[in-house]
Amino acid sequence: MSGDDRQYFEEIQVGAEYVSPGRTVTEADIVAFAGLSGDYNVLHTDAEFMRSSIFGERIAHGLLGLAIQSGLGTRAMSRPFATLAFLGLRWRFKGPIKIGDTIKVRIKVTDKRETSKPDRGIVVLQRSVVNQRGEVVQEGETEVMVERRR
Amino acid sequence: METPRYFEDIPIGEALRTPARTVTEADLVRFAAIAGDYEGLDRTGGAPGAASAVPETLIIALTSGLGFRVPVAQPLVLAFMVLDWRFLTPVRLGDTVHCRMQVTAKRALKEGGVLVEKREIVNQRGEVVQEGEYKLLVARRPRT
Repeated sequence: MSGDDRQYFEEIQVGAEYVSPGRTVTEADIVAFAGLSGDYNVLHTDAEFMRSSIFGERIAHGLLGLAIQSGLGTRAMSRPFATLAFLGLRWRFKGPIKIGDTIKVRIKVTDKRETSKPDRGIVVLQRSVVNQRGEVVQEGETEVMVERRR
Repeated sequence: METPRYFEDIPIGEALRTPARTVTEADLVRFAAIAGDYEGLDRTGGAPGAASAVPETLIIALTSGLGFRVPVAQPLVLAFMVLDWRFLTPVRLGDTVHCRMQVTAKRALKEGGVLVEKREIVNQRGEVVQEGEYKLLVARRPRT
């Protein structure tokens, strides 16, 4: 493949950090995600009910935040990882994302390790989703399998 | 609205199975647009003629909605707290997935209580393709 500028396992540095552009979460995003997922919970879809809740208004699905940060993550790196598979995640939803909030994701490589197979390795990323006030609204760790150069 | 169930109403060990849902190209395209992640739409890799693998987080999204389609009243969820998840094998376009859920632990808090649910995503061949745990904050029964 020509123009393969992906980062292979050997090149990825533990400690490397990336910050994405921001993205404003809109009512349209929440409505679209409710339609796609089938999660019409009142938290996300009933403005009248939510007016009297502790949040005071509808909030984004936690999993919508997870989806948006994954897309932002692809825009944070000029050279994407040569990812073979997404292995898992440990994720905490720490605060609400409200309509009009602007979020970005900070990504840090915290660990990498070889596997029994010589053509691949595991990379661990710490990710924090931060709103316009600097509050961490979601955070967690993702593990990906990345190709090694042969 | 159907009366929701409160923290106190949900027994540890309750096991539920959701209906199934076939993962379509429309789901893939809509998810790419919402997430802003178009890598799942690149068909240049993979074996010729093979169905595309779909983004793992799309399957989490689709099955979270399936979790509401069970024949018992919904718990009154106040917040999604923790998602601890493993991706075991790819899901491909045209696969049909459902979810098995079981409440494994409960912990009462001052406001509400935490439900721990083990969830397994199963494909049409009975293979577990993803599994993990949801921790949900659920409302306690209001004192009257």
